[in-house]
Amino acid sequence: MSDDSNNINLTIDGQQVSVPRGTTVLEAARSIRIDIPTFCWHPKLKPAGSCRICYVEIEKARTLMVSCATDVAPDMVVHTASEKVLQGRKAVLEFMLMNHPLDCPTCDKGGECDLQNLTFKHGVDDSRFDFKKYRHIRDKNSTFDDLRIGSEIIRNQNRCILCYKCVRANKDIFGEQDLGAYQRGNITEINTPPGEQVDSLYSGNLVEICPVGALTNTDWRYKIRVWNTQTVDSVCSYCADGCNLTLWKDKQKIYRATSRRNDNIDEGWICDVGRYGYQVPMAEDRLTTPLIKKGDSQVPATWEEALGLISEKFKKIKDERGGVCIGGLISPNLDSLSLHTFSKFFRMVLNSNNVDFRAGYKMLPEKADDLYSKLTSLPFKISDIEKSDLILVLDSDLTKEHPIVNLRVRKAVTQKNASLFALNPITTQTGGIATDEMVYNIGTLHALLNGLCISLIDQNLTQYENARDLKNKLSPNTIEEASRISGIDVARINSLAKAITEVKNISLIAGELLTSSINREQLSGAIINLCLLAGIFDKGQVGVLSQAANSKGAEKLAVMPHLSERSILKIKQIWDKYPDNDGLALDQMIRSSIKEELDSMFIIGSNLMLEYPDGAVVKEGLEKLDFLVVADICETETTQIADVVLPLSTWVEYDSSFVNLESVEQKFKAAIKPVGFSLPAYQIINKIAQGFKTPLFETIDELIPEIKTLLQPDDSQNSFENCAIEYIEEKQNPEFEIPLLITNELHHFGYFTEKSNSLSNFCSEAFLEISPGLAEKLDVKNGSIIRVESEVGKINLPVKISEYIDNDVVRAYRNFSASPVNILQMRKRNIDRVKLTVVEGT
Amino acid sequence: MEKKILTKYIDDPNQVNIDTYLSHGGYKAFEKALKEMKPSEVIEEVKKSGVRGRGGAGFPAGVKWGFIPKDNPKPRYLVCNGDESEPGTCKDRVLMESDPHGVVEGMAISSFAIGSHLAFIYIRGEFAYPARMMEKAVEEAYEKGYLGKNILGTGYDLDMIVHTGGGAYICGEESSQLNSIEGERGMSRMRPPFPAVAGLYACPTIVNNVETLAAVPFIINNGGDWYASMGTEKSKGTKLFSLSGHVKNPGHYELEMGTPLSVLINDLGGGMLDGHKLKAIIPGGSSTPMLLPDQIDVKLDYESLAEAGSMLGSGAVIVIDERTCMVWVAERLIHFYRHESCGKCTPCRDGTGWLEQLISRIERGEGQPGDIEKIESLCGNIMGRTVCPLGDAAVMPIESSIKLFRDEWEYHIQNKKCMVKSEFAFK
Repeated sequence: MSDDSNNINLTIDGQQVSVPRGTTVLEAARSIRIDIPTFCWHPKLKPAGSCRICYVEIEKARTLMVSCATDVAPDMVVHTASEKVLQGRKAVLEFMLMNHPLDCPTCDKGGECDLQNLTFKHGVDDSRFDFKKYRHIRDKNSTFDDLRIGSEIIRNQNRCILCYKCVRANKDIFGEQDLGAYQRGNITEINTPPGEQVDSLYSGNLVEICPVGALTNTDWRYKIRVWNTQTVDSVCSYCADGCNLTLWKDKQKIYRATSRRNDNIDEGWICDVGRYGYQVPMAEDRLTTPLIKKGDSQVPATWEEALGLISEKFKKIKDERGGVCIGGLISPNLDSLSLHTFSKFFRMVLNSNNVDFRAGYKMLPEKADDLYSKLTSLPFKISDIEKSDLILVLDSDLTKEHPIVNLRVRKAVTQKNASLFALNPITTQTGGIATDEMVYNIGTLHALLNGLCISLIDQNLTQYENARDLKNKLSPNTIEEASRISGIDVARINSLAKAITEVKNISLIAGELLTSSINREQLSGAIINLCLLAGIFDKGQVGVLSQAANSKGAEKLAVMPHLSERSILKIKQIWDKYPDNDGLALDQMIRSSIKEELDSMFIIGSNLMLEYPDGAVVKEGLEKLDFLVVADICETETTQIADVVLPLSTWVEYDSSFVNLESVEQKFKAAIKPVGFSLPAYQIINKIAQGFKTPLFETIDELIPEIKTLLQPDDSQNSFENCAIEYIEEKQNPEFEIPLLITNELHHFGYFTEKSNSLSNFCSEAFLEISPGLAEKLDVKNGSIIRVESEVGKINLPVKISEYIDNDVVRAYRNFSASPVNILQMRKRNIDRVKLTVVEGT
Repeated sequence: MEKKILTKYIDDPNQVNIDTYLSHGGYKAFEKALKEMKPSEVIEEVKKSGVRGRGGAGFPAGVKWGFIPKDNPKPRYLVCNGDESEPGTCKDRVLMESDPHGVVEGMAISSFAIGSHLAFIYIRGEFAYPARMMEKAVEEAYEKGYLGKNILGTGYDLDMIVHTGGGAYICGEESSQLNSIEGERGMSRMRPPFPAVAGLYACPTIVNNVETLAAVPFIINNGGDWYASMGTEKSKGTKLFSLSGHVKNPGHYELEMGTPLSVLINDLGGGMLDGHKLKAIIPGGSSTPMLLPDQIDVKLDYESLAEAGSMLGSGAVIVIDERTCMVWVAERLIHFYRHESCGKCTPCRDGTGWLEQLISRIERGEGQPGDIEKIESLCGNIMGRTVCPLGDAAVMPIESSIKLFRDEWEYHIQNKKCMVKSEFAFK
C-alpha cells in the first residue's frame, strides 16, 4: 500500500522501500544501495533499455525486466540477484564478449572499464563462442582498427558494445548531428557522416561516458594506466560557469581532466576547453624564473633580485609621486586569494584604488553604482534556468561564451518545453532551438528593446504603473521606428512581448557582447525597463553573465577602482581604512600613462597587449611606463616589454577558489607542485608587500575570513527605476563599413589556450568568419587570404565561410598571438568596422 | 470458400482510378461518417465490429483508438503501417496497389474517428509500385475533395502523406516506424509511453495495419454487427491470407475467420505442388512456430492457432513439402533476422549473429556435438529479452524447427549432410 499518492512502496530483495512515483526500479534499488549494473543507462539521458544488463525479476511479470526503464508500481516485488537475473546478466555479458577483443592489456580503458569489471564480477571466464571474432577493419595495415572520428577522439569499433550513449548524448544533450550509427545489427558501427568529424565543443564528454574503450582521447591514450594516477578535485579556470573537474595526475604531470558531476552547475558535462585546458599548465615553455630587463634583453634573476628591484621602484614612486601613480591589473582567471591580496596590496600598501581586472572592455565606467553593476549583482542560478517557461537570451553566443549554461538552456527547451527567444546580431547555434531568433542590425539592441517595451505598453500587457511616463523617455518611441532601426518586424516584436507576459517564470540571460559594448549603460537601462514592464524582477531571474572563471569574484572582492558605498563600508570594516582617492579604471590607466601621469603598472596574468581592444593605444601606453612588472605563466607580448617578469603558478599548482557566475565560491586543490621557481600570485604580491615591511598575511588562513566577508551576498534589495534610453546611430567612416565582431574561438578561451595541444588541434590559427553571401560577393573560398583593414590597423587573415554569420558582419578571434586582431579596434568605437580586400594569388 | 470483401474489386484494373472506385460505392462510408456520425460513434461501430489488428498482434482496433487521452491538447496522428516485410506476407501490397482508394478511405474515416488532421502511410522502401499507386490515389482524393480543407463542406480537414521507408524490416514495428518517419534511425522505442499517448513527435498517434484500416469503410457502410456476424466468437470478419511455398496455386485469398487451414491449402491452393507430401506449415508469417501435417485442419483464427501452438500473425501461410531440409529453412530464416536486427538490444543484435553462424555451420555439415543444445540455450537468452519482438520473431521458428524436426538437425551434425535428398537440400 502506498502511504500517499506521490510515494510508492515496493520490496526490493526483501527490503521495503518508498520512492516517489515515476522513479525507475534501478533508481529505487540504488537508493537503498542495491547495485544493479548498467551500460546504456546514464543519469542525464532518457533510458534506452538497449544493453539489457540491468535485468531484474519482478514477480508476476512474464519476462525479465530492464530496471532502467521500468517505473516502480505499488507493491511491486523485485529481485535483483535471483538465479534467473544472474543467468540473464551472464547471457548478456556472453553476447557482448562474443566479438569483443581481448585486448584489455593494451586498452586504455583497462582498470576503469565497466565491461571488464562486470566480467570479473560474474566470472564469465570462458566463452561458448567458438567462431572468429568479427573485426571492423578500417585498414589492412592497421593492427588496432583505430579510426579518428574527431579531432581528439579515436574510435575502436571492435570494443564497442553499442550502448549508443555517445550518439544519444551528442544529439539529445548537445544538439549535435555529427555522430550516428551506421549499418545494422551486429555490424552496426558508430561513426560520423562521411567527411565530417566530431568536433563540437562537447566532444570529450562522449569519450567520458563510453563504458568501454571504444572511444578514447588522444591525450590519455597510451600515456599511463589509470591505476598509476591519483585524482585531485579541481574547478575549471576558464569561463565563469565553474564546472567541477577531476584532475588525474602522477607526480608532476597531469594526464587528463574529467567532469566531477555537480548537478547545480554542470550536471556532469564539461566543455573541451575545460577538459583539455589542463594542458596549458603542462606547456613546455613555462616561465620558471624571474627575468630582469638589462639593456635590450631580459636576463634570468633570483626572486630576491627581482623583488628587491620591484620594492625599491614602487617605494620610490610611492614616496615621490604617490601610490596613485602605480596601476594594477590582474586577470579574472586567477583565484580568489590572489585577487583579494592584489586589492589589499594596492589599497593598504600603496594607498591607491588603481586596481582593475577588466582588460578586454572599452570605455569602463568612471563611477560606481552604474546600472550595469546593479544588474550583474542580481542573483542568478544555472539550475533555475530549467524552471523557466521562457528564456530570453540577449547579445550572447551562449555556446561559445558559456557552454554549460548553454546546455541548461537546451535542456529547458528540449526536455522541459520552455520557449527560447534569442536577440543577437548574428545567428547562433543556441538560436537554432529558439521559438524566434531575432538577428538585429548590429549595435541596435537598445532600440529593439525599446520597441519591445513600447509593444508591452501599447498592447496593455504591463502592470507597471509608470508605463506611460516611461514611454516618453524612450527614443525611438514608436514600435515602427524601433523595427526600422533594428530590422526586426513589428509582428515579431509584438509576439515576443505577448509571450513574455503569458508565462510565469522567465530567465533573462545577457552575455559578452552586452558587457563589452560601449553602450553597456544604455543596454542595461533598456533591460531594466523591460524587466519593470514585464515584471521579470518578480517572476524570474536576470543574469548578466560574467565572463571569466573568477570575474564574479573580482567584482565581489573589490578588484575595481570605483566601489559602491556598501563595498567601501565592508572594506573599512575589515581593513579599518580605505584610500581617499579616485581610482583609475584600466583604460584610464592606459590614457594616464600616455599623458605620463602614471609611472608604473603591475600586471598579473594578463596579456594586455593583445587583450585591450585598441592595439595602438595599449602599445603606446605600456611603452611610456617607467616601470612595468608583469607576472605570467609563459612569455607573452606583454612580458616582452616588461622591466621585471615574474613566473606565475597556474591554478593546478596551489589550493584556492573561484567564484562562478552564480557567485558560488568553489574551492580547488593543488594537483602538482609549482613549476620551476614560479609562485602563486598571492605569494608574489605578499613578498612585494614584505619589501614595504607591511606583509599582507602570515598564513593564508588570515585571508579566509576577509574573503568570506567580501563574498557575502548583499541582503539589501536593489530597487530599480526606469531609465531614459536613446538610440543614437554611431557615425562611421564610409570607407570602412563592415562591422567586425571579436570573440573567443569555439575551442579557445583567452590567449593561453593555444598552448594546449588538444585545443590547438581543433583550431590553431586565426581566421575571419564571413557569411556565404559575402564570400560570393568577394569571390573567395575557405582559406583565401583577406586583408582586413580598419582606420587604425590591418591584418591578413584566412577566410572561413560560416552559415552562422549574417551578411553584413564578419567575425575574428582574439585567441591567437600570431594574429593580434586588437590592432583593428578603437577604444572609442562601439562597433569596429573594417574593409576587406582579397589578397591576390590565394 | 473465399469471402471477398476487401478484395472484391481487386481484379478490376480500373479500381485504382477514383472514378471506378466511386462507381463501386467508394467514399460513401467516409461521407456517411463525416455527415451522419460523431467520431465517438465511428469508434463505437469499429469496437462493435471486433476487427483486430491485422499486422500480426491482433489487438482490437477500436479499443486501441480509445487509448488516446481525451485531455491531451497536442495534435493527433494516424499512421497506416504499410511496411509489409515479414517473409511470406504480401496482403497489404495487394490492397495498396490494386485498391489504393480503399486504404485512403479507411485512413480518412479512422482519422476522423480519432480526431487526427494529418495521416501518414508508411510504405516499405522496396514497394515502389504500391507507393506510386497510393500517391496517385491520395492525389485524386485531394482533387475530388475527399482530402484537404473542409472536406465535403463538413469543416473537417485532413492531410495525408505517403512516406516510403529505407528498406528495413524493423520499421514495420510501430515505434521504429515512428522514429523512421521522424527522420531517426529505425530503432524501437521503450514502452510505455505507448504511441497512443506519446507517439509521432511525442503526440498521440494510432498506428494501424493497411488491412485493418481497409476494413473500416465496410464496417461503417454495413455496420459493426454485420462485420461481427462473420468469423468466430473472438476473431471477427475476414482476413487476407498469403499462401506461398510448395502449393499449386500460391497467392492471396480472403477468407472468413475460422476457415480450416486445409481449405486454404487444398481447396484454394490446389494442394501440394507436384503431388509431394506435406512436411510443415508456417501459418502466420516466417516468425511463427511451425505446424505439422496432422494439424492441417486447424481453424484459421487467433484462438485456434494459439491453441495449436502457433499464431495467426500476418496470415502468411508458408507450405513446406517433404523435399525441404528443415535446417536449411532455419538457416534462411535466421539469415534474414540477423540481417534485419536493428542493433539496439544486445541479445537480438549479437544473438542472431551467433545463431546464424552456428546454424549455417550445421547446414554446411560442420556442426559440432552440442551445437543444438547451444542453439536452444541462445534462443532462450534472446526470447522475451528485447525491447521489440524482433528477437522473439527470430528464435520462434528455430525453436520450433528443432522441437519438431530434431532428428534432422542431429542427422546433419552426425552425418555431415542432409537427411532429405532433393534439390532444396545440402548434399
